[in-house]
Amino acid sequence: MAPPNDLQDPQPGLARERTQLAWIRTAISFAAVGVAILKTNPPAGLIVLAMCPLIWTLGRLSGDRAVRGDRRNRLRLITIGVTAVSLVTLVVVLL
Amino acid sequence: MTGPTDAPKDSVEPGTDGDGGEPDARFTFANERTFLAWTRTALALVVAGLAIIQLLPPFPGVPWGRHVLGVPLIVLGAVISVTGYREWAHSQQALRRGEPLPHSALPWILAVTITCMGAVAAVVVLLSAMLRR
Repeated sequence: MAPPNDLQDPQPGLARERTQLAWIRTAISFAAVGVAILKTNPPAGLIVLAMCPLIWTLGRLSGDRAVRGDRRNRLRLITIGVTAVSLVTLVVVLL
Repeated sequence: MTGPTDAPKDSVEPGTDGDGGEPDARFTFANERTFLAWTRTALALVVAGLAIIQLLPPFPGVPWGRHVLGVPLIVLGAVISVTGYREWAHSQQALRRGEPLPHSALPWILAVTITCMGAVAAVVVLLSAMLRR
């Protein structure tokens, strides 16, 4: 598991940019889910839509050199968010 | 977007020597992107389940057909999200210790569930076609 020796490269493979783009795609996915829920249950849909800028902001923080626990907490927040969206959708669908 | 991309902000990480050290930044970013990709997969499953229940016309003769197809997809979304987080944490720990990456259960979970969903969808469609006559 030794890292390759080209670590002197300041931006190896633009990993930081790729990761930020992945965050942006995730935020857009949240927006898509929010709009889909908005159609049947406007309050729940608005809550999910409001998570989109939140995740966008989390993604912008991700590029910074973050301490270990900080990154863990941000990803945990996303997990809680997706699980909440899933539960909200279940409630919307079953009621 | 957050700053000048051509200026190296962070110095080179010492890498994977010993327990508890931060791994190579590229590995951390790649692990995070994998987690985000699973998150989007989970969201796509939730939206697919929602669309099946809300947008699909009801199956004639099988009133519960849409729910039987949509609800498992929505639940699968929650399962994949939580599992994705746990696997991210385990992979990050392995990277930090310089151990081999743990085996991921997510492709297996996804494949088995989608296969079952295909079988259930076939049953619902056939049942609906039989009951319509």
